[in-house]
Amino acid sequence: MSVRALWIISHEKGENVSLRFSRRFATVEHRAKSLAASSYIPVPEERTVLQLLLTELGLSDSDKSYVALRDDCLHRQRSPALELHVDSPAKGILWPVLAISQGPLILACLPLVDAPAEPRPPLASLLSVSQGLTLLAGLQTFLLGSGGKPDNEGLASRLLMLPSVLLQVCPLGTPLDVPLLAAPATPTVPTPAGNQKQPAWKTGLHRGRAVVNVALIETVRSMQYGNRSRQDLWDVYGTVTCKCEVEGVLPNVTVTLTLPSIGSPLQDILVHPCVTSLDSSILTASSVDSYDGSAFSGPYKFPFSPPLEPFRLCSYTSQVPVPPILGSYQLKEEENQLRVSVTLKLHESVKNSFEYCEAHLPFFNRDQMGVVDMKVSSGQLDVAKEKNLLVWGLGQKFPKSREVTMEGKISFSGPAPGPTDPLCTELTAYIKLYFKVPDMTLSGCCVDQHSVQVYSSAKPRIVTSRELLSKEYFIWNSTGTAPVSSGQMML
Amino acid sequence: MAVNWADRVSAFSRSPSRFLSGTTAEAFLAELLRELRDDRASYSVKVLLLSPLCEHPTVLCPSRSVGEETALELMSVFAQCPPKSAQFRCHILLALTSVLVCTSCVSGRSRASQDFLDLLLQIAQDNSDLHGDGALRSVRATACDCLRELEACSPGLLSQRLELLSGLRQREASRLHQAYAGLHSLVLRNAVYQLTQETGAGAEHLKALLGGNTSVSWEADSGQTNNKDSAILSSLILGPMGTVPTLQTGPDCKELRTVLSSLLEESYLLTPLCQAALLHRLTEVVAMVPGVPPAVFRAQLLRLLGTSEVCLLHATLLMKCAFTDSLFSVEDEAFILKRLVVLSQHPLLTTPEKLFYMDCILHFPENRPISCGDGDETLPVLLTARLASALVPTVFNDSATMLARLNLLSLVYLEEGEEGEEGRGLAYLYEHLTSLLHIVENGGSREIVVTFFRAAFLFLLYFCHVERFSNNLTEKLCKLYLRHTYLAPHLINLADQTQDKLTESNWAVGLLKALQGVITEAPLAQLTLQDLSWHLKMLARVAEEGDIPQRSTLSFLSSVITPSSSSLCVSGNWRLGNSLLGVCRRLLVHPSLDSLLIPLADVLQHLTCRYGDTDIQDHARLYYTLLTTLSREKLAGVLAQGLTEGGRQVKKRTLSCIMAEGEGLTSLLTIQQTEKAIFRLTEAHPEPREETQSDKQRDLNQTETESGPGEAKAALEAYRAQFDDPSFASEITLNYQLAHIEPVNPHFDQLFSIRLHFNLTDDHYEELSDISVPCLFRERSPPKVRLRLKPRRPYPTTLHASAIFTTQDGLSWLTVLPDIHVAFQQAFMSPPAPPAWGRGGRLSLFEGLWDEISSEGGETDPADSATSLFCCQLKEAALIALMEKHFLPYLISDLSDEEEFKVLFFLPPQSHVLLKIRSEEDAVHFNIATDNWQLLPHISSYLLTITSSQEDTHS
Repeated sequence: MSVRALWIISHEKGENVSLRFSRRFATVEHRAKSLAASSYIPVPEERTVLQLLLTELGLSDSDKSYVALRDDCLHRQRSPALELHVDSPAKGILWPVLAISQGPLILACLPLVDAPAEPRPPLASLLSVSQGLTLLAGLQTFLLGSGGKPDNEGLASRLLMLPSVLLQVCPLGTPLDVPLLAAPATPTVPTPAGNQKQPAWKTGLHRGRAVVNVALIETVRSMQYGNRSRQDLWDVYGTVTCKCEVEGVLPNVTVTLTLPSIGSPLQDILVHPCVTSLDSSILTASSVDSYDGSAFSGPYKFPFSPPLEPFRLCSYTSQVPVPPILGSYQLKEEENQLRVSVTLKLHESVKNSFEYCEAHLPFFNRDQMGVVDMKVSSGQLDVAKEKNLLVWGLGQKFPKSREVTMEGKISFSGPAPGPTDPLCTELTAYIKLYFKVPDMTLSGCCVDQHSVQVYSSAKPRIVTSRELLSKEYFIWNSTGTAPVSSGQMML
Repeated sequence: MAVNWADRVSAFSRSPSRFLSGTTAEAFLAELLRELRDDRASYSVKVLLLSPLCEHPTVLCPSRSVGEETALELMSVFAQCPPKSAQFRCHILLALTSVLVCTSCVSGRSRASQDFLDLLLQIAQDNSDLHGDGALRSVRATACDCLRELEACSPGLLSQRLELLSGLRQREASRLHQAYAGLHSLVLRNAVYQLTQETGAGAEHLKALLGGNTSVSWEADSGQTNNKDSAILSSLILGPMGTVPTLQTGPDCKELRTVLSSLLEESYLLTPLCQAALLHRLTEVVAMVPGVPPAVFRAQLLRLLGTSEVCLLHATLLMKCAFTDSLFSVEDEAFILKRLVVLSQHPLLTTPEKLFYMDCILHFPENRPISCGDGDETLPVLLTARLASALVPTVFNDSATMLARLNLLSLVYLEEGEEGEEGRGLAYLYEHLTSLLHIVENGGSREIVVTFFRAAFLFLLYFCHVERFSNNLTEKLCKLYLRHTYLAPHLINLADQTQDKLTESNWAVGLLKALQGVITEAPLAQLTLQDLSWHLKMLARVAEEGDIPQRSTLSFLSSVITPSSSSLCVSGNWRLGNSLLGVCRRLLVHPSLDSLLIPLADVLQHLTCRYGDTDIQDHARLYYTLLTTLSREKLAGVLAQGLTEGGRQVKKRTLSCIMAEGEGLTSLLTIQQTEKAIFRLTEAHPEPREETQSDKQRDLNQTETESGPGEAKAALEAYRAQFDDPSFASEITLNYQLAHIEPVNPHFDQLFSIRLHFNLTDDHYEELSDISVPCLFRERSPPKVRLRLKPRRPYPTTLHASAIFTTQDGLSWLTVLPDIHVAFQQAFMSPPAPPAWGRGGRLSLFEGLWDEISSEGGETDPADSATSLFCCQLKEAALIALMEKHFLPYLISDLSDEEEFKVLFFLPPQSHVLLKIRSEEDAVHFNIATDNWQLLPHISSYLLTITSSQEDTHS
């Protein structure tokens, strides 16, 4: 349940690689040596680790199309654990190296194998693996922020804080916690003497007015093909994020999610570890089960004792009967131009009030656009010729008919070739929708302000909100071959 | 002087070995400790100074005694450190732990480690910080962590303190209870483990242990005995094959149950990471004590099964692994599996988490495992194709996810078989593979290319036997290759790996054969040099397959190189030539060589004659020679070495590699230098001069005519006329033998393609051209080497010689030969008189020259002419012997005419030395005349040498 070493690497697409931080845990290494006995492989020096890691991640020698060590088809790249083939000081395989990579940052660690080394134990039998993953993810969030956007100065200053952060969260190689993103904004006081033990995940106590904020965000993804032989797909998942400023060492709060009477049950519910107890019926519905109609459909109660910082209370998935926007996209190649025809229909159950709604039509593997002769029934069309992109801004509302169209022709007679994409060749093309609808969910799920219970002396202020967001919302050209995104429908 | 410690410490961490090459571990450690004691240094610097001790304690403290001393030093630094420097104090504790554990002081129970243990326990019990600020409390937390690490590294160390630790944990209300819980649970686990190892230990002992009753006799040394056994360090939950040691207590273990339920109740208050560790430790404890039912965990289960935390769910899976159906019902099992499937594709989880969950599916802890769980991936029985269909791979997945899904689904469909409805699953996977292929075809990134080939390999690994797919894949790969020939290395790798891993399958050979087909049948008109280079690489691999007929390959090679317009031959591109030869080389050892003989010979001959690069020509010639002169068996013997010894996986530095491999050329082309000279050039005996004898005969028959001065002049003119051609008689030919120098390293017994190179040491001669010797075998007679020297001035000289050659194993070598000394007399030649001349003519020439030199008025530049006299003591017999030995070929007068010998040396390009040798009363007189006075010193030293040696032999 420990890690032998930790590395943090920054790079720019395999170039300018540098090791920004490393830490070896000598006592864990000592244990590794006793455990592995004769098959012990010491951790090599930093430069070697760096090079081996980049090779394993496929980032080395980016100018060469084939490097045997890197590109061998035998490599088991499908596991979260990498093998580093070490030559010196001893020849052998350093395993299991965990690595997570986001933007310019690679974080890696080597969990201790606390099992007989031969035959190699399955990853699933090593608790240190999931612990290592958790530690890495925590450090990544700490370094890059929850947005995951790299910022060189911020990153540098966070890296400088790492030694003291590690003293708290992983002093001797055994991960104890993940670093806190930031000190809580509200004033906290140290624990009063009392019988109730303070949770280790709570850095202090809140003092002041009780405020509970519950935000429900539903995200909808879709793949629409406009083709009888291929069923359209969409799915919805929701997350409930809370920020609770409540007094007490271990205050009790309950948030209840409710569905409309005809709503389909929430599935795949995952809860934050601060949830104290769960009713087994809440967990039963699963998206991989066939829905038998008899499943529990709420209310979903989540009793918990909140940490100080905002947290994701729970998440769920839902199977809604229709996609919020149904699209049809048709392209026809005519001599040197493309005839485009698009229809988007907003479903009647969806509130016709967007924060934003945009359709993006990119064209790949063609020359830049020349003449764009397009008509839209509603909204505004922007043409980015050098990017070969049409941006159709639909504004805040669909027209009364709830249907918008776009017709016209584009000639690709520009002076230079446009962007390329190996997937979208010939008539394989898509529209990607970006939209956000405030104060609604597709599943109908909601958090009633009155259903939030806080067991404390003062009456808290309770704020709830909900919204629907699109992500990976694709409408494929029905006259081209669209890539299959899931086999579920065809099996 | 201020030392930049940040730089020094980071240099040390980057590479301790390199850092210590500039100093010693001892000195650096002393420096660190001195600085740590220095009051002027800031605490932030001091924290930095501790990191080498934390990260590389054994480098700085190579022995236990150094560790012990260092620890004592650190403890005194700790004692003097003001309490408010909490962070520094924490770091000292960590450093102490690292040093003491890693130098085995803890396992050896050394003084310092005992002191440190007492210090830690003292800090852990001191809760005077209760109302202080959190910083002070952090020292206590760190002390607990250090205690836990000491216990982890030396299991049993704290077994006797169980009650104390339990009390500390229960008393603590601040967040620190987590540290105590971690410590307590680990010590408990180790103590119970030790009990299981004691024969006869039971409920009483357990009770005593938990009650802190240390009077029980066996306890005293138990910590020591188990230390050496690493089994206690290992997790006890290892799947169906793992065995857990048990402690028979009977159903009554109230004390243990109390401790467990108290720990479990508070587990909710721990961070997920600590909670998972605690649950795992407690799982192990309960697994070891059958008296405690696993149901103690039940209250936690729902909370754990619904968790979004990967480590908590993982701990639960391990719990299931340990307790199977005694804690988890069939419904639970089905639920957990479904949950894993859901989590493996959950949009909110990270890729590594999803991959981990997929791995958990393939190592699912079933209640009733069928397989023995030997670490191989197996599907849980409950995982139906329907359930798994949530994980079908798509082109939108990232590489690792896609491959993991493909692997899992392949296992599923392999089990289902391809019959009936289920065959659609396999069809889907294949369709997916072809979608990937299309992306590659349309110019996918390098990552997609690599991913596609990995996917193809996985697919073949499972479904190679399904011919309608594997054959179709072959076709598609061929098309792909023709469009993107740069994929050749990927295809070769795929062929290699499928051949290795699927020994019973013939797919790889089929693929290679099909690739040969598309390469050789494609229209040549569109062939670019780049394509050709990949084609040759591919054909070379194809030619390694004995089962694939190679005629089409040969006709391809031939059609590429033979047309007179072949730009390939004209270009003389060395790399391409090399690739061509690489194919030929493999064909030379191909089992069907007999039928390929003539076309292959044609190709090689064509390369030999037409290819625009000498090196390629030479090698082609070698192959041609080998092909046409060696028997098949021998040929295979010579050439197969590189293949059979190394196989295609290992790149050996052999001749075959030079020829066959395009990659790694730089290393292959390195010519190695021999340590000593291997062979030398020795002067060969001059070939018998037949014509001299016949000259004599002829001379004898001819009438002796005394030549008058007029005749002499005419002879001289005729003789001189010959030199109008500047190349006339301008060379001397020296005969040498190339022979091994004893003792011979057997490695160099047989040498090939020897190329001798000569360097002049002065400018008396024209540059020499290289000389090639085909081979040098020790057991055979030494080959002859003729050195043709073209003097500018016929002086003695020294030549440096070197040679490049190849040994039997194909390595190329450079060796330096011993210097070759060309003596003055080696430049001597008979005067190149017209062949028709008899002795008379030559005598006339002699007289003419003599007169001219003596008269100082002839055609020769008088400034160059000189006469001289050399005298020495020689008896008559000795003189005759001297004449016979050294002068016979150059003698103009008759040997029987003992009164005066006339000797004429010609030295190219146009010098003459004339001798009239006559015995006077007191000495033999050598009258010398030459048209090149600069030769005089050489002549006298030559005469001195031969006459003195003659004296020696006759005295």
